[in-house]
Amino acid sequence: MSLHPAQPLPDSLLTQARAGDAGAFATLVRAHQGSVFSIGLRMLNRRDAAEDLAQDVFLQLYRKLGDIESLEHLGFWLRRVAANLAIDWLRRRPYTTTEPLEEGAHVATQDAPQDPLMDRELTRLLGELSPQARAVMLLRYQEDHDLSEIGAMLDMPVNTVKSHIKRSLTTLRSRMIGARLVDCEDL
Amino acid sequence: MNDEFENQLRRALRPVEAPEGFAERLLQKLPAQPAPQFSPVVVPLPARPQRTQRRYGLPAALAASMVAAVLLGQQFAMHRMERQEAAGRAASQELLQALRVTSQKLDMAYQAVNSPPRSERSETDEENPS
Repeated sequence: MSLHPAQPLPDSLLTQARAGDAGAFATLVRAHQGSVFSIGLRMLNRRDAAEDLAQDVFLQLYRKLGDIESLEHLGFWLRRVAANLAIDWLRRRPYTTTEPLEEGAHVATQDAPQDPLMDRELTRLLGELSPQARAVMLLRYQEDHDLSEIGAMLDMPVNTVKSHIKRSLTTLRSRMIGARLVDCEDL
Repeated sequence: MNDEFENQLRRALRPVEAPEGFAERLLQKLPAQPAPQFSPVVVPLPARPQRTQRRYGLPAALAASMVAAVLLGQQFAMHRMERQEAAGRAASQELLQALRVTSQKLDMAYQAVNSPPRSERSETDEENPS
């Protein structure tokens, strides 16, 4: 269940999946499921809803495999659909129940020093942003996309993406200071 | 300092693992039929007019409209002429009738003027008793 496979996936995998090879499709799913599930979890704040959303995204992918041009396009497509579907779900039914990250989700990489308290608080505060701002922040800081890619994924001008990021960083920082999790002089 | 906060955010937002058995549960939900092939699907489109038909369609329609307009105009003009002719004939009949009546009246007036009075006529009758 690796999030970032050590070996890049061969392009033939996409061809095989298009031809109906369930094994090839499962490999594609496993390569991207963590990313799609994480977008759903941090957008909707519920593990069950996040899993439903991820399944919906991959079922849509299965139906649209013929439209996917490359593995790079596949990653872009999955994140775009996941973020927009989550925003759509939040419009219809706001998910307010927040589950702490450590109760069921396992952070994929352990290669950086952690401050669990701060991570948990940042995740919680992110859930208080508007759905659009949350999606922008996730695509920027979880998925590491640049501003133009985020704009393309969310059908948003780049300047709007920039202003979402700037406002969200200010909000998060001030709330972290308010919660005394960050020293004023550190920011 | 801003970069440090962004790095903290990146660490907090590292992707998490999907639930155990996610892919297997998903595969069970896939429809029975195989995934769509990449080869483009040929969707039958409604019959389209030929290129020549499309090229000359508008001018032909305009020409047909003009011909129809000319024919209608002619019909209208002929109908108007017929109505005018009928009205002329009726007026001519009325004029002839009026002339006939006038002529009769004139005849009667002439006879009245030229015929002798009744007293003169009786004297004449007495002078010529035959």
